[in-house]
Amino acid sequence: MKARYVLLCAVLAAAVAVSQDTTRSVWDGVYTADQAKRGESAYAVNCASCHGDQLNGGEMAPPLAGGEFMSNWNGLTVGDLFERIRTTMPANNPGKLSRETNADITAFILAFNKFPAGDHELPRTTEALKQIKLEAEKPKK
Amino acid sequence: MRRRMFLAGLAVAAVALAQWKPKETEWPTYNADTMGSRYRPLDQINAKNFSQLEIAWRFKTDSIGNRPEYKLEGTPLMVNGVVYATAGSRRAAIALDAATGELLWVHGEHEGERGANAPRQLSGRGLAFWSDGHGDDRILYITPGFRLICLNAKTGMLIPSFGKGGVVDLKLDDDQEISAWNDKGEWVPDLIHGEIGIQSAPIVGGNTIIIGAAFREGMTPRSMRNNKGYVRGYDVRTGKRMWIFHTIPKKGEPGYETWENGSAEYTGNTGMWTQPAIDQELGLAYLPIESPTGDYYGGHRPGNDLYGESLVCVDLKTGQRKWYFQLVHHPLWDMDISSTPLLMDINVNGKAIKAVAQPTKQGFLYVFDRTNGKPVFGMEERPVEVGSVPGEWYSKTQPFPVKPPAYARNGVTEDELIDFTPELHARALEIVKKYHLGPVFTPPVVSKLDGPLATLTLGTASGGTNWPGASFDPETHTVYAYACNACLTPIGLVEAPKSISDMRYVSGIAGREVAIARGPGENAGADSPMPKREPARAGRGGGGGGGYQALNVDGLPLIKPPYGTLSAINVDRGDIVWQIAHGETPDNIRKYAEEHHLNLPRTGQSGYNIGTLVTKTLLIAGDGQVTNLPDRGRCAMLRAYDKATGKQVGEVCMPAPQSGSPMTYELNGKQYIIVAVSGGNYSGEYLAFTLPESEETTSSRTGSSREQR
Repeated sequence: MKARYVLLCAVLAAAVAVSQDTTRSVWDGVYTADQAKRGESAYAVNCASCHGDQLNGGEMAPPLAGGEFMSNWNGLTVGDLFERIRTTMPANNPGKLSRETNADITAFILAFNKFPAGDHELPRTTEALKQIKLEAEKPKK
Repeated sequence: MRRRMFLAGLAVAAVALAQWKPKETEWPTYNADTMGSRYRPLDQINAKNFSQLEIAWRFKTDSIGNRPEYKLEGTPLMVNGVVYATAGSRRAAIALDAATGELLWVHGEHEGERGANAPRQLSGRGLAFWSDGHGDDRILYITPGFRLICLNAKTGMLIPSFGKGGVVDLKLDDDQEISAWNDKGEWVPDLIHGEIGIQSAPIVGGNTIIIGAAFREGMTPRSMRNNKGYVRGYDVRTGKRMWIFHTIPKKGEPGYETWENGSAEYTGNTGMWTQPAIDQELGLAYLPIESPTGDYYGGHRPGNDLYGESLVCVDLKTGQRKWYFQLVHHPLWDMDISSTPLLMDINVNGKAIKAVAQPTKQGFLYVFDRTNGKPVFGMEERPVEVGSVPGEWYSKTQPFPVKPPAYARNGVTEDELIDFTPELHARALEIVKKYHLGPVFTPPVVSKLDGPLATLTLGTASGGTNWPGASFDPETHTVYAYACNACLTPIGLVEAPKSISDMRYVSGIAGREVAIARGPGENAGADSPMPKREPARAGRGGGGGGGYQALNVDGLPLIKPPYGTLSAINVDRGDIVWQIAHGETPDNIRKYAEEHHLNLPRTGQSGYNIGTLVTKTLLIAGDGQVTNLPDRGRCAMLRAYDKATGKQVGEVCMPAPQSGSPMTYELNGKQYIIVAVSGGNYSGEYLAFTLPESEETTSSRTGSSREQR
């Protein structure tokens, strides 16, 4: 009975480990340069009036780049950031942007924060984005 | 016979005293009392046990409205075992069991387009409680659409005898027609789109409820013309308007002439968006007034502009002006009086004075005799730099309190720049070469691509003490004030395209498109048009780039620490007793210091929305940013300080930044602290902390507080 219990635990643990593969981080080239360029245009139209052309925020909205921004999001996932943007932004019309546009804007924010570009675009599904960790510091591998 | 007379006498006395008197263990109004103290004489939670606090219950506001909110700013009340608060994107009024957090009732108003067009739409900062002492208990709050709601505190039902079915439409009966611009560009009466609202909690004193007014962010107004923010007093029983105070005087009223060229006719704003204070014994109310239309450009309102950025004392029952003091003549720096004036009884050189101490964005605590408006420590009109923006009118002097000294930075010079290393300082000096620097009241400049891009300021829009205000200890006559010490705001002006505004200048930076500045919670709804974006005329067109440089050095703040502070100010003497950095050093700054082997003391965090709570022994305030330390993980810490010395004596982890001010109460022998948290990915939640149960206390207590009544 105990052996079966131990086996069950091992199987469950393995399953959990496989399904929660969050070893990917924003340092792994998780968006493309083209996607960030699309995001830059979308950001200028939808976001810059509150968050600033330089993503430095202001009295009305927090910065989206730099130390204060990373303090709030360090250790969370890109999916958390994406969901916040998708459901509550832009402030004057929340939820009106498509998932594609939100993913593009998220890519632009990553680019502005100097995370590296790569070969694959940021996906537009929340579940996939939750697999990517937002780490302020490049993890030592 | 004697016994019967005695009992009769008691009964008479009981009826005479039966106006409701809150207990010291309760929190019956937004600031704990109408004097503004944010103080309760409780000390079950103290330096020895603060770090053992655990969460008693939590209330998430996600479902109170059509989407979660991320800026929960409320301070709840606690009366008779019930917690009352505003909550959610609906800004509903809620009642919770104070021991368990169970939802007892909720009341929300669906205001349709009028609500969607409100200038201030968050769940707001709170509500008011009133009782006649005979069981008629009421909750009053103001909706985003600017309607005053009166509810039965026990059931949450509208009280039909108040106003019209429990509701007073505050856009009516305001000595003006609340208006808006129609499609043809005409200014016409419009209750749906007319810009006026409020987010602060109303205040009740005696049987009077005082209502202020708020507008959109004022940096890029659509017009020099706007609705005016008069202050009104209503009867809390009937909802009848008892008085109105014209914060912009009408023709024939004193002060009208301080708006030259008849500019009082069209200028608006100048409301009271924060909480006033009431001295119920003296029967006086103290109104903190905000900026007039156009935060940074006053060329369309020449003159001192009374009562913009003034503290006004009025009779509580009649609204008649008793005295006033204008803190800033002809406002140009968005130095709204942002928080409650503190009504303190002090003792100066042996003389007892009933004082009022006003904390401000500009880092001055202005102290007056609250019976007559006389400055307690002297006030000096000093010459200030006169600017040269075309068409502007300037006051050549501004008032400076002689004491206490400024408790927060209010000017920018090279001495305020980052100094971690000589190299960082040198780079900061390079950046600021393109800006105009100077002490407090350095005027804004027209933004030029080759410089100056703007006047760099501290102690203006988001500096010093903002809406959460300060607290005070009535026993030691000490003010405890949080201040943002590094909330850097560049104030530059650009010519406004006619499609954006009819004002000659609005806030902007050369080379960047002029955009309408939107305030927190400004939500125009699904049908509203996108904000207009037009290139600024002052520089080369096109978005992004231009002459703008990021106001940081490698992501580190341009201004040196401390970024946020807590100060203890003794008001008997007018001096600062202690001042410390409040808030954990942000992660990126801590890491920079580690990598460069710098011994950096705690830097504090910049942010304008931190409020404080004072108890018998502690000063309590939480962090506005989350930080990630190896020994405790991702937290925004709720901190307790020894109020006598400023030494931190305890801390507990909160899952998200403090976004509302902490309050406390004692119920059935147990002390609680409630604080609102929200921000980043964490939606609004009221967190109630209490000490862990010990074996002795568990057995002596029943479950819900309701059973005790």
